[in-house]
Amino acid sequence: MASRFWTQQQSDSESEEEEEIEEEEEELETRPDPREGAAAGSKYLSANLSDSDESDDQRRVVRSAKDKRFDEMGTIVEQMKNYMKINDWVSLQESFEKLNKQLEKVIRVTESEKAPRVYIKALVMLEDFLVQALANKDAKKKMSSSNAKSLNYMKQKLKKNNKLYEAEIELYRQKPESEEDSDNDEEDEEGMESEVDYSDEEPGNIAAGYSGSEDEEEEEDEEGWEKKRSKKDKLMDKQFMRDPSEITWEMVDKKVKEIIAARGRKGTDRTEQVEQLTYLTRVAKTPAQKLEVLMHVVSAQFDVTPNLNTHLPVAVWKKSVQNILSILDILSQYRNIEVDERVEPESDTETQKGADYEGPIYVRGNIVAFLERIDDELFKSLQCIDPHTKEYVERMRDEPLFMTLAQNVQDYVQRIGDKSATARVALRRVEHVYYKPQEVYEAMRKLAEAQTSNVAEEDELPTEVDEGESGEDGKVIEIKARESKAPPSFVVIPEIVPRRPTFPDLSRVLMDQLVSTIYKYGDERTRARAMLCDIYHHAISEEFHTARDLLLMSHLQENVQVMDISTQILFNRTMAQLGLCAFRAALINEAHGCLSELYAGGRIKELLAQGVSQSRYHEKTPEQEKLERRRQMPFHMHINLELLEAVHLICAMLLEVPNMAANAHDIKRKVISKTFRRLLDINERQTFLGPPENVRDHMMVATRSLSNGNWQKAVEVVQSLDVWKLIPRREFVLDMLKSKIQEEGLRTYLFTYSSYYDALSLDQLMTIFELEEAQVHSIISKMMIAEELHASWDQPTRCIVTHNVEPTRLQALASQYAEKLTVLVEGNEKAFDARTGGGLEGISSMRRKEGQDYAGAASGRRQNEYTGRQNYREFGNAGNRSGFTGGRGAGGQTRGGFYRDQRSGQANSRNNSSYTAGYQSTRYQDAYSSVGRTTYQGLSSAGASRNAQPDAAGRMVNLAQGGLTRSSGRF
Amino acid sequence: MAQYDLTLTIAPYLDRHLVFPLLEFLQEKQLYTDDHILKAKIDLLAKTNMVDYAVDIYKSLYHTEYPLQEMLDRRTEVMDRLKYLEELAAPLVSFLQNPALVQELRPDKQYNLQMLHDRFQIRSEQIEALYQFAKFQFECGNYSGAGDFLYQYRTLCTNVDRSFSALWGKLAAEILMQNWDVAVEELNRLKETIDSRPDPPLTQLKNRTWLMHWSLFIFFNHENGRNGIIDLFFQEKYLNAIQTNAPHLLRYFATAIIINKRRRNMLKELIKVIQQEHYTYKDPITEFLECLYVDYDFEGAQQKLRECEELIVNDFFLGKQVQENGYLTMPLRDEFLENARLFIFETYCRIHQCIDIGILSQKLNMTYGDAERWIVNLIRNARLDAKIDSKMGTVVMGTQHTNV
Repeated sequence: MASRFWTQQQSDSESEEEEEIEEEEEELETRPDPREGAAAGSKYLSANLSDSDESDDQRRVVRSAKDKRFDEMGTIVEQMKNYMKINDWVSLQESFEKLNKQLEKVIRVTESEKAPRVYIKALVMLEDFLVQALANKDAKKKMSSSNAKSLNYMKQKLKKNNKLYEAEIELYRQKPESEEDSDNDEEDEEGMESEVDYSDEEPGNIAAGYSGSEDEEEEEDEEGWEKKRSKKDKLMDKQFMRDPSEITWEMVDKKVKEIIAARGRKGTDRTEQVEQLTYLTRVAKTPAQKLEVLMHVVSAQFDVTPNLNTHLPVAVWKKSVQNILSILDILSQYRNIEVDERVEPESDTETQKGADYEGPIYVRGNIVAFLERIDDELFKSLQCIDPHTKEYVERMRDEPLFMTLAQNVQDYVQRIGDKSATARVALRRVEHVYYKPQEVYEAMRKLAEAQTSNVAEEDELPTEVDEGESGEDGKVIEIKARESKAPPSFVVIPEIVPRRPTFPDLSRVLMDQLVSTIYKYGDERTRARAMLCDIYHHAISEEFHTARDLLLMSHLQENVQVMDISTQILFNRTMAQLGLCAFRAALINEAHGCLSELYAGGRIKELLAQGVSQSRYHEKTPEQEKLERRRQMPFHMHINLELLEAVHLICAMLLEVPNMAANAHDIKRKVISKTFRRLLDINERQTFLGPPENVRDHMMVATRSLSNGNWQKAVEVVQSLDVWKLIPRREFVLDMLKSKIQEEGLRTYLFTYSSYYDALSLDQLMTIFELEEAQVHSIISKMMIAEELHASWDQPTRCIVTHNVEPTRLQALASQYAEKLTVLVEGNEKAFDARTGGGLEGISSMRRKEGQDYAGAASGRRQNEYTGRQNYREFGNAGNRSGFTGGRGAGGQTRGGFYRDQRSGQANSRNNSSYTAGYQSTRYQDAYSSVGRTTYQGLSSAGASRNAQPDAAGRMVNLAQGGLTRSSGRF
Repeated sequence: MAQYDLTLTIAPYLDRHLVFPLLEFLQEKQLYTDDHILKAKIDLLAKTNMVDYAVDIYKSLYHTEYPLQEMLDRRTEVMDRLKYLEELAAPLVSFLQNPALVQELRPDKQYNLQMLHDRFQIRSEQIEALYQFAKFQFECGNYSGAGDFLYQYRTLCTNVDRSFSALWGKLAAEILMQNWDVAVEELNRLKETIDSRPDPPLTQLKNRTWLMHWSLFIFFNHENGRNGIIDLFFQEKYLNAIQTNAPHLLRYFATAIIINKRRRNMLKELIKVIQQEHYTYKDPITEFLECLYVDYDFEGAQQKLRECEELIVNDFFLGKQVQENGYLTMPLRDEFLENARLFIFETYCRIHQCIDIGILSQKLNMTYGDAERWIVNLIRNARLDAKIDSKMGTVVMGTQHTNV
């Protein structure tokens, strides 16, 4: 049986080979791809399986009595192979089932848990074949219905079945040898044999080290196509070398088309394609053809990684860059050649026109797209490579290379007058420069210069390493001469376009050049991005005002919501950088304005594309995650998050601490930074406070000491952060911080404690806060003018005399209390309204009951008042709750109106004074005692104010008992 | 004081002819050397047709009797051109000089053109020639003639752009003739035209900037200009133009607001703008306001006030002198100082309850006696709720704060 198979296979492959050779002779065929069709695939598979079958045979000879089961299994496998060859899925299905049954028997016999190797091998074989069959759609269509049905059945069955042996299959696929070793079948011969097999199976492993004990014929068969290819290659090379002049334009053209046609097909070896095309560049007949082929080489190189998530291998990337540079060389030497995407593919006889052809030659292609792809690949590789390795640094060194290319491409598109393309290329360049501060830029410039100085060495290196595919060296004559294998390039193109980037001394100069080009020619998105980069660059070069003006004048803030995500990320990055810049320039308010929005959602990492933040509340789908990962910024472009957070929190602290002190009595009135408040709340709720560890802890400690008036400690804590070493002009910034903290400390101090003093001495304040007299004077004056501090200067004695119109704690609480009561009363009134006015439907019975209670609790006095309710409620609707206190008295409406007028015209603090007038009157006590009950009854409806209320109320009760003395000490 | 001189900054936004008064003023103030200014004048005249004037200046600059040949050439060229244009425009000019005929013109432009064409054989070329002639007249320094012709031209012109240019020309002519009332009208007309023209934003911005610069001539001379300047500059579009294109105009804007008692409410807005533009433009006047209302640095304000005085004297628009009862006075400077002092004092009072008059007099740049008299006057006019403690030499403020 085995022999039958043998002959069959041999004839098969022989005939095919013959065909191939014929082809070669005719059209310079390099080699057919064995995996192209199902037939070839089966040949490949059967070739290696025939071995195992052979080994089975041998085994039977050696110890035939020992294990029959194995033989049976082998037979089934044999059958399956045959069925595969004729694509008979129905029989295959049957054999498969037989095989599984056999497996049970074998396992019973051997008493081992593991499936035997033969079985696993069969599975692998089946699986591969299945994949092939499924991929080949044409063949699938042609199948008979029963056959197709079996195919589907097999697909499912195999999938299920293979799951059981997943590990083994994996192991087998990875390293069949080791599997073989671990396999405790004591069959040495098989091991020997199968080793040979496996070397065949691995496509990379060309049978160079093959131990040829077999005869010639066998060798050819055994090695399969791998060996043949190398032979054919040799053949082809010989042909080329022998007679390059024989190769005509048509031959090259035909071949190119052939290769291109195979592109993207299942089973096409992509690297192989690149090699073939590269070879063709050397024999191309005309510059235009060479150009065309080069274009194809570049596209083929891009195909090497089919996946969006992996990047192009660095070596391939570099070669692509070189190829594009040669394209540019050709284009700049032969000005009549034009590369255009819109050329009809039919017109490709164009490239036949020789170097001396005068008129325009059109070649299809898009160099800008190439450049963009190159850039994307660079970006992707930087995303993927671990930033802490040397590899990353190495990779970053390729940036000047890219800049060279981009520069050349830009020159080219500028020459041909393609304005929008110019803008696009310029934008790519801008995006490589904008985030670099002058020092980094300087480093890149130096690196570029250093690289060009030893450019000769670099050129040698890659050619020696990858001799086989030296397309880019085709035009460098001396290098080419060193290559024994490669024939001389037919069309020699000297290096015309510069191979080194030219950078102006200042990054600003480069930015200005590029950006102005973009503003002139670019479309909306390009311009917006360029503008953002420009702003970013201004921000890192400490030009806050310019950056801010650009941002405001471009109206980007309004439009950014509708832009694409990557632009939004850029916008966020720009805002972050602008914030840092404002901070360095001591513009705390501006800095906070820029940063607070970024921190509002707690998703800073996502907003800046510097990592993924986990959200507890919604899971991301894998697609979303993938997308997000694709958007990530490479490490070297990151904005340090700790620094950013520190700056944000410092700004928030400097603004919020005095603000909290100013509005100590009603926390909710004016919140500057919600994020900061939340952090502070969390911090305050903690029972134990350890020493600060991260930025946040530090800032919380600083905040606490600042609000306690201990500014020295705040300064110390803030300055102890490590992030400051990342900031340029560190000393200046730290000094600025110190003085800011001093100033805000003074303000906080005055807010908090001024009401406890009759007078404060200017000199005293100067010494406490270590500030200049002018500064203290200015700060305090400002507070007086803004009516934040109710005091005035007494010039002769250099004192601040406070007027003590600030309400004491007691008064403030009382006013707060009254306000809350108003809310309650209003709620009750609504309920009452609903009851009497007939709007009952929408109110729960519970609520209705409350209304009743209330009605009972409220004395008849109130009932009278309801006659004037209509007017009264107008006050409430106007949002002026406190009108109520006045409204309750005898002359309700008029009093209320008076209060309202007064209040609306005055600052917050004034309200208290007008309130307290009412408070002191006896009427207040009266009112208080009557509403006391309703407080508790109405609690459930009070909603948000629930927590605060009983507390306040409780205190009030105590107070009422102890008489209304001024009791600031008690609170 | 040359550091605060804005002539160079302003000049690019002005017509050549409008720069002359500025240069004259500078010459008078001796801020720069005479030669320097004379040279600037010649440069300025080179492009105009005022050749004779240029020749005179040349002579006085180089102390020579013989002007350059090219100047003489230019003179003949100008004369030829003048003659040519005069002839070309003659029919129309003669028509326009006849009041009876002008009466026949109607508001309908098409009708006018038709009539001129039918009855007087005046075609559009002649009308165009009128414009050229008017422009030429203007270049020669004959502003009144130019102004008249341009006015006439506008009634006949159908080209929108031309009519726009004519408006500018007319405005310049009126300013140079110091017809302030007419100029104000022209200014308003021009402003409306600018706002209604469908220009791209950049051109509009440029036009507005020009307009504001030109308007300075009018506003600091016209009696109602002080309100006018605030009204114009405070419009959002114009304020934007100031901020983006010409922050130096803030000097005039600030001055106008300081001296205008009734527009005190705008001060806050102005200070915001000044603060915003602090990084691009500052001069003593803006700094004075900043010291007083941002930093509450009275010493600094005092210092700046002194500088302001100097600045005003040397500024063409602000330092205008007026002959009054035989004395040369600078009404603007006096008003400015008076108001600025009041600002300082007001602010001072707001935050003090007790002030030493000695120190106050220093801050106000007055002698003790003057300061006391000044305060007494303020109290008497009920603008200040305060008492003087003359034994201690202090002013005690009335308590504005009602106690709890």
